[in-house]
This record gives sequence, C-alpha cells and structure tokens, in this order.
Amino acid sequence: MNTFVKQISLFIVLSLFTGYSAFGQQSDYQIQQDFQTEYTELLERIEQAVTTEALAEIEDAINELETNYNEHTDIINAALYPETFDNVIRTLRNNHAEAVENVTTIEDLNEEISSLESELDNFRSRLETMNRETADLQQKIRESTQNEARQAALIRQYRENIEERNLFVSNFLGDLLSEYQSMDRAQRQEITEAAGRLEENPVDVIQNVINEYITMMEQAEGLETPDFVSMKAQHGYFVEVWNQIGEQLTTTFMPDNPEQARANIDQLLSNWQESISTNLWASLQAAFSENDIQLNEFSSSDEFNDALHNYIDSAYEVSVDANSEEDYQVYRNFNSFWNDTVKTEWGEMFIEGDILTQAQIAAVDLKLDNWRDEATPKSNLTFILLIVSVAVIIGLIVLLLTRKSDSGSKT
Amino acid sequence: MIKSTIQAILLCILMIGTVSCGSSLVIENVDYSQPLESVLTPNSENVIHDQRYAIKFSVSPILESEGRETVNEIRLIRNSAGYYFVTASGFQNVYVFAPGEGELELENSIEFLENNLQEPAFNQRSSYIELVDLSDGETYRLDQEGIIEEETE
Repeated sequence: MNTFVKQISLFIVLSLFTGYSAFGQQSDYQIQQDFQTEYTELLERIEQAVTTEALAEIEDAINELETNYNEHTDIINAALYPETFDNVIRTLRNNHAEAVENVTTIEDLNEEISSLESELDNFRSRLETMNRETADLQQKIRESTQNEARQAALIRQYRENIEERNLFVSNFLGDLLSEYQSMDRAQRQEITEAAGRLEENPVDVIQNVINEYITMMEQAEGLETPDFVSMKAQHGYFVEVWNQIGEQLTTTFMPDNPEQARANIDQLLSNWQESISTNLWASLQAAFSENDIQLNEFSSSDEFNDALHNYIDSAYEVSVDANSEEDYQVYRNFNSFWNDTVKTEWGEMFIEGDILTQAQIAAVDLKLDNWRDEATPKSNLTFILLIVSVAVIIGLIVLLLTRKSDSGSKT
Repeated sequence: MIKSTIQAILLCILMIGTVSCGSSLVIENVDYSQPLESVLTPNSENVIHDQRYAIKFSVSPILESEGRETVNEIRLIRNSAGYYFVTASGFQNVYVFAPGEGELELENSIEFLENNLQEPAFNQRSSYIELVDLSDGETYRLDQEGIIEEETE
C-alpha cells in the first residue's frame, strides 16, 4: 500500500514537472500564432453567434484567452505591432458587446414575430369559426322559410353574429393601429427582415377579411338597413385605420412592392364600399316602400336626402290643393315612419354612417311641420259661427228698429 | 632629405587626423534583437523575404551546405549583437551570419549531428537565443560563438 502511494505521488510530481517543462519549451512564435488563431476563431464565433447562450460561452472564452495569454503579452505585442494584446482583447469585447446587442434585438424581434404569428393564428381561427357559424345560420335561414318565427329568430342570431364579427375585426384593427402607428422606421425595418417567416402577414389578413366582407355583402340574406348601416360604419373604420397604417404595413410586410399591395387593398375597400352601398340603398328604398312611401330612386346620401324632400314637397303641394282626409293620412303615415323608425331606431346610425346629417334630419322635420299644417283638414265651424253671429246681429238691429218705430207712433 | 621626411610625417599626421575626425561618431549598446523569430517560406528561387524586419536573401547556399534542394520553412532570428541565426526542420546546423555590405557572411555553423533538428524554433531571450527542438523538448542556448554551456550550480 505504501509503495502504491509512493508511485502515485511520483507520477503526480513527474506529471507536474513534465507539464511545466513542456510549457517552458514552447516556441514564442507558436504562442503568438496560437493566440492569433484563437483570436480569429473568436472573432468568427462572435460574427456567427445567433443566441445569447452562444455569446455567453464566447464571453467565457474571451476571458480564458485573456487569462491564458496574459503572461505572453510582450511576445504578442511584438508580433502584433502596431496592435497590442490589450487592444485586440478590447476589440473582442467590443465586438462581443455589439453582437449581444444585435442578438438581443433579434431575439426580441423573433419573440415579437412569434407573438404576431400567434395573434394572427388566433385571429384567423376565431374568424373562421365565425364564418362557419354565419354560413350555418344562412343555411338554416334558407331552410326555415315555412316557419316564420323560427326564421326571424335565426335572422336575429345571424345579425348578432355579424355584429360580433365586426366588433372582433375592429378590435384586431385597433390592435394593429396601436402597434404599428407607434413604431419607428428602424423597428419596422427589423420586422421587415424577419417578416418573411410569417405564413400570413397582417396585410394578407386584412386583404382576406375584406374579401370575406365582400362575399358576405354579396350573400346578404336576411340583412336589413341597420345591418348595412352598421357595415358602412365598419367600412369607414377600416378605411380610417388603413389610411393611418396602410403605408407602414405594406412597407413592413410587402417590402418588394408596397405600392402594389396598397393599391390592391384600396381596390378591395372600394369594391366593399360599392357592395355595401348597393345593398344599403336598396334595403332603405324597400323599407320606405314597405311602409307605403314611394321615394324616387337613390344611390347615395345626397340622392336619398333629395328623394325625401321631393316626396314631402309633392305631398305638401297636394295637401295645399286638396286638404283631404286622405292626404292627411299620407302625412301621418310618413310622419309615423319618419319619427318612430328612421329617427328613433336608425337616427344615430344614419348620422354615424353618413347617411343623413343632423341638419338634414332637422330640415326634413321642418318641412314635415309645414306639411302637417297644410295636410290637417280645415273645419267649417268658424264660418257657420260667423254666419250665425251676423244673423243674430242683424236680428237684434231689426228688433231694435221695430221697437223704436212702435214707441214713436204711440206718442 | 630631412625636409622631405618632415613633410611626409606632417602629411601623414594630417591624413590620420582627417580620417580619425570623420569616424569618431560611434553609437554603442545597439540592440539588434528581433523579439520573435520569423518563419518564412522560400519562393521558387529559394529566396526568402521578411517584410517585417526588411531582409531578403537566397537560402540556396545554405541548402547546398545542408545537401538539400528545397525546404518548406526557414526560421530566422537576429540576436542583440546583430547576428542572424538561420535553421529549418531537418537541418543539421544552425547557421550564424554576420551582416555585411549587401551580404551575409557565415560567422559560425553550430552542428546538431545526432538527430538533426526535427522541429526547431528560436526564442529571443535577454542574453542569448534559445533554440527549442519541439519534437523532443531539447533546448539550447546559443550565441554567435555557438552553444553556451549552462552554468552548473
């Protein structure tokens, strides 16, 4: 046992001695060559590092390099002249710090892209569910023509579904707006570089959503004026958001041809607006018509306003000429629909959806007052009372004169 | 005769004075030492060029002396006295040259006959050139005179 310990001790001493001696027999040239090789390798590793973990390892390696070669500073300074050992270590540390900053930015960006991807996935998934629900409801509405109560309930559910969808899309647009409006050019540039990895970017999503809205308008089954007014407001919000962030979005996510991407979306927005307008004016015309109010054809807010005024003006003229009970009924019918439905139920929507302004509604109200005055059937009682009054006065005068002549003949 | 002798002596004194006045500026303790050896690859004409320490010469005479035609790398270092030490892997000698006007004159050739030098490398040390044979770890202290015997304690 004792011999074994001695052998081990001897081995350790010899190993240490050999190690020391081998170190002492190094070539200075080789030392500086090794240093330069390690330095170059570290520079390359820094350049190629893409994770903070890799950079942490490199930082350890830089520290190790500095420690290992610190005692050979003179040799390395002589080899690197006019550079110095301290300078190259400083260069390594500076490059490393810069790489850490870049990688951190990239990692933040990756996180941002992942988050965006996840947001878009969720958005798409939720929207697809809503689309399926809408399609299902449309199918059920078509199938339930025999049962009016059931159809009405389904239509109500369908309209609520669209309203919910609008709200969901608006929230998505609001998020996009707050996210991209506050971004500076550098941040957008960074996202552009990473955006190629996205399967579907926000511009694609917006494009698809508008396309779905257009399809929905083309299959506008069971929808009524308020639904189209609400859709018009949704379109208005879309346009507003697009005008604010469209340029940022297309330059960020469609860097190859942002102008074309913007033009495509503009065209889709225009198509969407056209399909809303077609449905909106037709449904409005139908709503008035269903209440026995036949307005002239209209296809814009101004034309709708003109049609209202033309209708009232014509009816007013008839009332002035005829002043019949029948005309008064026409007035009452219009007044009732105008006040109970248009103003009470749709008024706020009409103003928000730029269908009628407050001033235009007030102008119609004023004309309605005039129409009422002329349409209200005039009474003959006043005339009869006047005749009776005149007759009574004449009677009294005759009675007075008769009494006066009687009293004169007696005297 | 005496007059001409005196004239000749005066002329000599004048000449010696003139010559001695012209070469009286001497800078001493010049350190020529090259901190690191240069490892140089000869070109096709066996010429090496050390751009850093600004020296260029043909190694053909050295190769001839070693009985070789080519060599991959030449190792060159200059000591503080200004002598160049030249060797290479497989050489039997370290050649010590003194620089002259457009020439390198062989001052000494230090022989390592036993195994030749397998992987020689020069290190500059304060008062000598260290020659290490990296193949076996043998080290030698050299100057222009040859191998310096290490003092025994």
